[in-house]
Amino acid sequence: MIRYGLARLLHLFFVIFFVSTFTFLLLRLAPGDPAYILLTKHNVPASEEALIALRAELGLTESLWSQYIHWLKDAILWDWGTSYVSKEPVVKELVYRLPATLELAFAGLLVMFFVTIILGISTAIYSNNCLDLVGRILAIVGSSVPTFWLGFLFIYFFSVQFGWFPSMGRGTLQHLVLPAITLGLGLGMVYARILRTNMLELNNQPFVKAAKMRGISRTRIFIFHIFKHAFLPVLTMLGTSLAFMLAGSVIVETIFSWPGLGKYIIDAINMRDYPVIQGYVVFTSCLFVTVHIIVDFIYIVLDPRLTVR
Amino acid sequence: MCKYGKGKMVYFFVCFLIVFSGCSQEKTIGIGDSPKKDKKMTLAFPWSPQSLDPHGSDSWEVMRTGTGETLVKLDEDLQVNPWLAKEWTQEDATTWRFKLEENVSFHNGKAMDASSVKNSLLRSIEKDPKVKDLLNIETIEVVSAHELIIVTVQANAALIPHLADPSTMIADVSTIDDENRYPALTGAFSFKQFKKDESLVVERFEDYWGEQALLSEVIIKYIPEGTTRLMSLQSGDVDGATDIPIDNMAVLEKDEKFEVYVTPSLRTHMLMFNMNSPFFKELALRKVVDLNTPREEIVQSIMLNAGTEAKSPFPEVFSFGNVAKLEPSLSSSELLKKAGWKKNEEGIWERQGTIFDVTLFTFPQRPELTVMAEVIQSELLKQGIKVSIRQVENIDEALMNEDWDLSMYSMLTAHTGDPQYFLSMFYQSSSESNISNYESPIVDQKINELNETTDRAKRDQVAIEIQDLIINDVPQSFIVHPKTVFSAKKGVEGFTPHPIEYYYIHSQLDISK
Repeated sequence: MIRYGLARLLHLFFVIFFVSTFTFLLLRLAPGDPAYILLTKHNVPASEEALIALRAELGLTESLWSQYIHWLKDAILWDWGTSYVSKEPVVKELVYRLPATLELAFAGLLVMFFVTIILGISTAIYSNNCLDLVGRILAIVGSSVPTFWLGFLFIYFFSVQFGWFPSMGRGTLQHLVLPAITLGLGLGMVYARILRTNMLELNNQPFVKAAKMRGISRTRIFIFHIFKHAFLPVLTMLGTSLAFMLAGSVIVETIFSWPGLGKYIIDAINMRDYPVIQGYVVFTSCLFVTVHIIVDFIYIVLDPRLTVR
Repeated sequence: MCKYGKGKMVYFFVCFLIVFSGCSQEKTIGIGDSPKKDKKMTLAFPWSPQSLDPHGSDSWEVMRTGTGETLVKLDEDLQVNPWLAKEWTQEDATTWRFKLEENVSFHNGKAMDASSVKNSLLRSIEKDPKVKDLLNIETIEVVSAHELIIVTVQANAALIPHLADPSTMIADVSTIDDENRYPALTGAFSFKQFKKDESLVVERFEDYWGEQALLSEVIIKYIPEGTTRLMSLQSGDVDGATDIPIDNMAVLEKDEKFEVYVTPSLRTHMLMFNMNSPFFKELALRKVVDLNTPREEIVQSIMLNAGTEAKSPFPEVFSFGNVAKLEPSLSSSELLKKAGWKKNEEGIWERQGTIFDVTLFTFPQRPELTVMAEVIQSELLKQGIKVSIRQVENIDEALMNEDWDLSMYSMLTAHTGDPQYFLSMFYQSSSESNISNYESPIVDQKINELNETTDRAKRDQVAIEIQDLIINDVPQSFIVHPKTVFSAKKGVEGFTPHPIEYYYIHSQLDISK
């Protein structure tokens, strides 16, 4: 187990190293001169002199190799540079916005989790009846309705018409409800369908037949015998979904004016704010790999047979 | 064991959510209750400042909070009025003497004097190269506690209106770079709590030198998405909202709970010609495109009448924006035939094997411009001119580095109520921002004359003469001056239409519940 953990940590290190190197090179290859963009943003004529001076100030006149080594050296010491736009340390900027994004992503995940479990189990138990039909329709709706539309629809009904929840902003649990549901509902409906299919497939397994012969009720078999096995493939998807939600929260953050990383990163990309983009990519790749490691460990907790090699 | 583990996981998630929903990275300094706990108002603005530094790129947003003041102010007719400077005189072509208001204090209680104004202006020039260009100051001399002399490098007749630029806001400079407190400015409201990208709360400044604020607090919510801004107003989360999307205007107009205000903006949407393009170095071809730009259709169908047809770079709201446009004496066919072009079998104009086929740049940040580009493309095709539209991500960079013929563009042409900065930047042949590569010795000479003319009526006349020359040379086709739409609940008073968008919050803003 310790060996396994160490191997995964090494994996994490390599992924982050390659992702950061690749991002660094891609950013420099992408069109767009940060010096030019910054000058025009301030309505300053972008003369050759002004451009050269600003490029030198931003450290962009050094060779690519030297810039990379410089960045890597500082990054190891937890100094991810300074934002070209705000002149604030990148770590400070990311950490400032991170809690809001994590809060939304975890809340979205929670919504997705409950929708998956409740809808998945109930449609499996009552397969081929009305509830199953509703589940099937919801799965189609969930996978086809765009997030932005769903978000506006929720604001219109639950804020403007009924006045139950605030239309935007962050601060209380009430503020979290609409954005979290917008983020988690669609995927939850899709995963519920997958969970249902897995459960119905397992329904014909010998251990289920044995349980039926012992006189255990159908509902009890679905919840306590089948669910554990059927949930494993869904768990992998849930892990991937957290990363999806961190990245995909951009739209939800914009719609609900949620002060997270999403909009900040879009602005940083438009402004070619290299240190911020680089820091964000490294940060999210760390998070992505960590989530996968955690999912792998939960796998082992749920099914100890997986440790046997 | 396994069940216990799962229970712990759920418990962990719930705790995590509670902890994070309760903790926010807020910067809270100097929270103090106002003795008069009365009225509060919540407004929605689209853009959040990244810092409260009044002299940086966010000065516009800071100015919008009602916390800062400049030496002069523009009124609703865009005329310059005294503000922190109560009077001024021009002593010679480059020397200006200013007398300051005497009972002004910064939000930290320190008195505003000539020395603090000097330090503030110097910091503003150092931090923002645009201010350096706008003011063109050589020296600032403190004459007495409330008097100073500003000497410009060369004659700068627009110095006074340019002192209304938000970047020249007067601040106690010792407070700006201090992370533990908010900048001390002089406005009717002072900063209370700032959450970047989220909200800003300003409270009544009790020692304000002017009329005391009627509201005890104004809460500004930053809502970048236009539709959400509208729905926040409808749901009652905010009392007023600026920059309402034009296509949402009708929804609010039908609702008797709201007042909708439409005011001319100082912006101009235009079509730019590259004077170095093989096609548009020819005046006749520029005139043909200009003639076939369907301004009326654009105002009606794209701007939904929330805009006016443009004749010149400046909206008619300015005294120097009232420029007469000459009716063309020749039709586009006549112009083209005169220039040696003939229609080929496909109905497209052609000259010596060259087809009239040009590229038009547009960009996604102002979506209405792309629709305008499509309308212009269709109109020109009807006339036998082929236009290929290319959407570029960064229009300024594309115009600087790529080959282009035509481009959509949008500019705030007179944000200080004066034409000098825009005309110098955009049309002077030596200017780095002259993206159309326009060169005219007469225009250069007239711009220099404008820079030196202080008499208001004479300045307007010179500015109009420059525009006449530009309209005749057609380096751009001016299409539309869009209007700004904002709205507030009925009962909100003082939220008045004003083309200058940074004076929304002021001491006389009020709300009756």
